Amino acid sequence: MGFMTDNVSRIHIPFHSALRMLGGYFRVRVLEQIRSISFILVYLLGFQILVLGTTPANALQLTLGIGMVVFGLMFFLEGLILGLMPLGEQVGVQLPQKAGVVLIALFGLLLGVGATFAEPAIASLRAAGLSVTPWDAPLLYWMLERAPGQLVAAIGGGVGVAVAFGMLRFYLGLPIKPFVYVLIPLLLLVSVYCALDENLVSILGLAWDAGAVTTGAVTVPLVLALGIGISRATGKQDRATAGFGVVMLASAFPVLGVMLLGIHLNQQAPRPQSEADFFSQENRKSAILWVGSEEGLTLLAFERGTETGRQALFPGEVSEPHTEQAPPVISPGLSLMPVIRTESGHAVRSVLPLTFLLLVVLMLWLRSRPRHGDEVALGVFFAWLGMSLLTSGIRLGLAPLGDEVGRPLPRLFRSVAREEGRLIFEPFDPDLVFSAVASDGRVDRFFYLQESAGVPRAVPFDPERFDPARMRYEHILKRPPLFGPELTLAGIALVLMFAFGLGYGSTLAEPALRALGRTVEELTVGTIRRVGVVRAVSLGVGVGLVIGVSRILYDLPMIWLLLPPYLCLLPLTFWSDEDFAAIAWDCGGVTTGSITVPLVLAMGLGIGSELKVIDGFGVLAMASAYPIISVLLYGLWMQRRQARSLMGTEGDVDHE
Amino acid sequence: MNNPFTDPREVVRITCMVHQRLNPVTIEALRDVGAHTVLSESARCVRQESLPPSVLKFGSRLRHQDAPMDIFRTTVARDYALGAVRGLRDALELDKPGRGSVFVQDIQEYSILSPAEVPESTLGLDDGTLLNDLTLMTGIVSTVGSAEALARIALRLGAGVPVLTLGQGTGIRDRLGLLRIAIPPEKELLHLIVPSQDAPGLTRLLIDDGRLDRPGGGFLYQTRVRAAVVDSLVRIGHQEHAASMEQLIAAVDDLKRGTGWRRRFAGMDPLQEGGSKTRRNHREITFICPEGRADAFVHAALNTGAAGATVTKVRCLSFSDVEGGIAARERGVLCIPAALEERVMEALLVEAGRDGEYATRLQVLDAPSVFSHQRT
Repeated sequence: MGFMTDNVSRIHIPFHSALRMLGGYFRVRVLEQIRSISFILVYLLGFQILVLGTTPANALQLTLGIGMVVFGLMFFLEGLILGLMPLGEQVGVQLPQKAGVVLIALFGLLLGVGATFAEPAIASLRAAGLSVTPWDAPLLYWMLERAPGQLVAAIGGGVGVAVAFGMLRFYLGLPIKPFVYVLIPLLLLVSVYCALDENLVSILGLAWDAGAVTTGAVTVPLVLALGIGISRATGKQDRATAGFGVVMLASAFPVLGVMLLGIHLNQQAPRPQSEADFFSQENRKSAILWVGSEEGLTLLAFERGTETGRQALFPGEVSEPHTEQAPPVISPGLSLMPVIRTESGHAVRSVLPLTFLLLVVLMLWLRSRPRHGDEVALGVFFAWLGMSLLTSGIRLGLAPLGDEVGRPLPRLFRSVAREEGRLIFEPFDPDLVFSAVASDGRVDRFFYLQESAGVPRAVPFDPERFDPARMRYEHILKRPPLFGPELTLAGIALVLMFAFGLGYGSTLAEPALRALGRTVEELTVGTIRRVGVVRAVSLGVGVGLVIGVSRILYDLPMIWLLLPPYLCLLPLTFWSDEDFAAIAWDCGGVTTGSITVPLVLAMGLGIGSELKVIDGFGVLAMASAYPIISVLLYGLWMQRRQARSLMGTEGDVDHE
Repeated sequence: MNNPFTDPREVVRITCMVHQRLNPVTIEALRDVGAHTVLSESARCVRQESLPPSVLKFGSRLRHQDAPMDIFRTTVARDYALGAVRGLRDALELDKPGRGSVFVQDIQEYSILSPAEVPESTLGLDDGTLLNDLTLMTGIVSTVGSAEALARIALRLGAGVPVLTLGQGTGIRDRLGLLRIAIPPEKELLHLIVPSQDAPGLTRLLIDDGRLDRPGGGFLYQTRVRAAVVDSLVRIGHQEHAASMEQLIAAVDDLKRGTGWRRRFAGMDPLQEGGSKTRRNHREITFICPEGRADAFVHAALNTGAAGATVTKVRCLSFSDVEGGIAARERGVLCIPAALEERVMEALLVEAGRDGEYATRLQVLDAPSVFSHQRT
């Protein structure tokens, strides 16, 4: 610490005592992280082993990944607490002393745009839209595949405007509620407009998901700290929790940005059409224009198209059956070093530019130095280290585990056996085929297949799959449904239950939410406990995922999922006090972070690819809407409880 | 003009601890009593909640219930002390239990601003109901949850409604280099107004039951309160009788015009002085400065022998524009032996002079009893 000179000498701690102190420090934090991820881990493993009846494919990699997640969470949270948040708060406190309202708004704009480009959520959005096709949803395809730059710009612009508005709000001491009353109905109106257009309806899910995922693990705590600093410095509001509300804006404006981009691009977009029409000769020119190139079109036909499309593209040619192979169930093992290298690179992009921007503003513009500079430097390093470990750990451990559980999920509700892969026998000896007679006199043919465990098993022989000319037999490996045909409803219930637990458990561990919970507890001196906030949010995410997964299962229109919760939120916000309204709306923005998104995507993709739905969008948007409801309800309950000492004197409070 | 940072003024500090929902009314009331500036800080109070008997459990059950509070502090000239308290009591209807407390303490203040003078119209009527033989007990503990434990003990003892705040400790921690991150700086502060004659006995019970007599256990000191209206609503919820014990006590306090009649802990042994000590004749020094400047003040104090300080982030509500537009302040509290007062104050005053701002001020008051663990 810079000022520790003069008579106040530094205390020298013997090495072994220092080690003991650090040991205690790390032990407490590691245990806290283990507690936070234990639910989701036990839940996923339990579901895999007990319900699906499989075991983790790569236990070593899984263990390593989980270990990295634990240490990653610990370092990242510690980095936020030591470095990034104090830095953000310091800049927030000093900014209004030097800058006027315009400069603060400009700074907010720069920070918001910078944050989006530093932590682009576009990767998760593209993952959710992996099966989007230009014939079913041409506009959505264009935005994801052909114009991702414009999409990022729309999102970045939205976040920028939001942070600028947020900073202005703190500076001027405006309440959050009017923003909610204006923005949310506006978003819903634009959504309804989009829902009425056959092309725009496809981007609704993307737009609302974009709002949910934009606010990353670094941006949220930083913007929160900055807001708290600015509102404390200006002192325009007489409440300590005046620093909340900007995350809500940063979730709402990108939705508007993406929808407006969609409306703009829609003018030149072709209408949705059938796959055969899209690939047909007469539409070839426009198809190539839309996809980009002829090679792209061919690739598309094989990657996302079906037999119909390919036949329209290559009339007269018979495509090879191998193109219909199901995706492998077991994800291939990832190698450790490349993953860590890539993720550390991403972590540098997430942490450094924003920190650098704050440092530049603090040192060059505000002419000040970071308070406890050494702690801030250590904190930034911890945040980077934590982020690298966390995202690597998720890719190596948690995401593959989620994938292993998520992909086979449809087995729970599909009443037919599901193809798992194919075995080609070439040459195949027909003498190996035997006959068996059934009780009704029907004769079936079968042969013995030696399983990997070495046990021979009788499998039915399908003469149609035998090519006598090439002596080639193609055997389809099938996994039977978990429940009989009559039990699909129970299967669906199980899938929804899985979705709920997944949402609940992953949100419990979400670092940005935990940073927010900690800030709430600190600012309210514990009257609102972090555990309460985190649990309320987690419950909301659980419910949101159930609704989101129902959307995929039953192909419900997005607008009917958006309207009820948001219309419900308006009166709830009206009844809540300003504190809880701001906190609750911010919670909606932080829920979908680094842990939830990969797990939710794995589940959504598993179900989506099985049901051949156009896209897996909408799940994240739901996981973002319902926590607002749950936190507002929690707030109303708390509000009632906390005002009990005033009961009987309430009449005197009413006039306030 | 005298140098405000060398000549102290004899003033009173008014502290208002009220339910957060009374915030706007309180700010208005403080403006009305003529305060130039008010420092506000978030807090929480803990009460017992009595639940009706359930099917599973007979007899009434108790649990604890938090309520959000705000603490407002301002200074006025000594002559107006009692009138201002009465005015605030009337404006906030603090005579109704459950709304909050207000109290005044005599202090010396070093500030560029002259103390507020309360307009005649807002001075409350002298009905003789203010309590005046009270002590403010302040506990500073470093383990998360310890203050809550102390609060529960205080509630169990019927000592009043404890109010908790948060702060950051500085002192030895800052002399450890980067290794300091291993020691959490968070401190919890407990504020409790008790009858002066009960203060030693309650101190002892809080120390014993709250395990403050262990290394790192905490710090507990008393300062005198000149007059107060105290929130007596220790328990809320299900009540079996027409009036609760607390209501009866408050009524007798009113009748007797003081708390002297309810002497307790008579015949109790004085505090055992093992590794811990109760020391007399201390001073509580408070500095208020723009946010970011507290480190310099703490450093100045540590250099002259102070053991450490607890710094809280507070907001300054300015009713006249003398303090400029920035509301973020830091409020540091040090508790030092009287013998060190001169040296520490000298160093702090130099620091305050360096600042030369309206925002900076220093306050000193007697802390007749201070307890902390001390290695022997």
